[in-house]
Amino acid sequence: MTRYQNIDHLAGDFYTQNFAQTAAEGNLILNLGPQHPSTHGVLRVVVELDGEYIMRAEPILGYLHRMHEKMAEVKTAAQFIPNMGRVDYGHALGWNWAFVGAVEKAAGIEVPERAEYVRVITCELNRIASHLLWWGAYLLDLGAFTPIMYAFDDREKVLDILQDPTGSRLTYSYYRIGGVAKDLSQDCLDSIRAFIPWFRSRLPMYKDLVTDNIILRKRIEDIGVIEKDACRRFGATGPVARGSGINYDVRRNEPYSVYPKLDFEIPTSERKCARGRYDVRMAEMEQCLRIIEQALEMMPEGDILVKGAPKPSWKVPAGEAYFAVEGARGKIGAYVVSDGGKNIYRTKLRAPGFCNLSLFAEVSRGTILADAVAILGSLDLIIPEIDR
Amino acid sequence: MEALLKGLDILYLAKCDAAKTGQTWQAFLPAGSLVRAAERLLKADYFIEDICAVDCVEGFVVVYHFDHFEAPGRVTLRVVVPHAAPQLPSIAGIFSGAEWHERETRDFHGVLFTGNPNFIPLLIDPEMADCFPLRKEEKARAKAKAMLEAGEVIFCAPAFTLMTPDAPAEANEPGGDQPATA
Repeated sequence: MTRYQNIDHLAGDFYTQNFAQTAAEGNLILNLGPQHPSTHGVLRVVVELDGEYIMRAEPILGYLHRMHEKMAEVKTAAQFIPNMGRVDYGHALGWNWAFVGAVEKAAGIEVPERAEYVRVITCELNRIASHLLWWGAYLLDLGAFTPIMYAFDDREKVLDILQDPTGSRLTYSYYRIGGVAKDLSQDCLDSIRAFIPWFRSRLPMYKDLVTDNIILRKRIEDIGVIEKDACRRFGATGPVARGSGINYDVRRNEPYSVYPKLDFEIPTSERKCARGRYDVRMAEMEQCLRIIEQALEMMPEGDILVKGAPKPSWKVPAGEAYFAVEGARGKIGAYVVSDGGKNIYRTKLRAPGFCNLSLFAEVSRGTILADAVAILGSLDLIIPEIDR
Repeated sequence: MEALLKGLDILYLAKCDAAKTGQTWQAFLPAGSLVRAAERLLKADYFIEDICAVDCVEGFVVVYHFDHFEAPGRVTLRVVVPHAAPQLPSIAGIFSGAEWHERETRDFHGVLFTGNPNFIPLLIDPEMADCFPLRKEEKARAKAKAMLEAGEVIFCAPAFTLMTPDAPAEANEPGGDQPATA
């Protein structure tokens, strides 16, 4: 692509120039990001504006691209696990799970039952932390400063809980092929039991103070309407699909681990707009608590790692496997193809945020610029996950 | 799935074991049938999961994953394109989300999708976008049939040999002169 080297800097870079080619006369080309705070990291969106209205938008990716799929080809399966926490810092354990699950599937490894429960408990706690991060940051985008203080207060408690078994606070690398790295200690179990009623008491307050607030409702209701058909064409999953009335959750529809034994609901909303996605996430946090409560009751004693668990030099047997889990943003998929060699031959990571963001160009067309920010935030974007 | 793909030119159709590999159906298609197969999947309410390529001895195996919101079961479509001219039609006109997946596949493997509405680099800097990081050295390539699940074969075109067992000389038996068993 050397022909773009001598570009005129006043005319913008390759992407701006490419985008501007088809712009209508007199319209303004504006770059949102990659450093704007409302783009959550380094997302860039080029928009064509007619006055305040968005005629066309194109997200530009790659600012946080680290080529995890190449790294997977130069590391053994066990060595690649720490990468998964870096793909999505919001719901790192979901990614841990997708990858070790795919490898376990390819190798036919059974995980001990206690480890399955430990995974469910930690993964759901992480989901709460992820939704709280989204909630606080989204409201910050919309101009409400206080909620993020409350959200981070609660999220801090979750991070403290997870710090004990995982040893880290954000980029977890806790699951192992065949189980988890460390059992939940008595202290940890006690603090989880204490967290549940605490957090349950906070949710009604958030509803009263934030969700029912007329200013918020006016900002997020009836904007960014996503039809079911668009979810299929773009492969949108998670709260984005459920906020459009699609009752689809990998935990229920493609069951894995011990989720079939647990009683929980899949919140959906028929609103299809940003409010629908907001409602789904808020209701999901309550369901996470229900899952954790039951899992704590049902968790048996026993091993947390399968006997003879793979060592770092262990080779994945030849074959292919696709394993998906329900992440905070949707369906996280890991597809591994192994030739039986030292490293996995090919690893494909399906990022839910990638598919959800690809909707944006279509959804934002015709909306006003201020709403575009409310729509972007409602998709719950974590850029490192999208760029991988 | 047989009914869904009826009348289309396909090379290989097999029922797979979802518990083992996570897919329920797979089909190898010639590049010419891809767009029509995608049209039928969309009509049957499938959604697109992802598109990726696997660099094998036989060429780039481009893998399309689809799933269903109401009747879950992963359907894998595969198209093999030669290393020398890796080109196939885009399905972005049907599954809009494919646009990005195809651009990513171009960035990583250099597979070209004709008809993609905005075929520019997606994840890799445009100034170095022709480095194709996931292409393998020739001697590092493995055979697709040794890695991909064969499944329970429903249909296999006579000329399609990618998934059929190797000739006796390459069979696992020492000496290698036993006849191959299908």
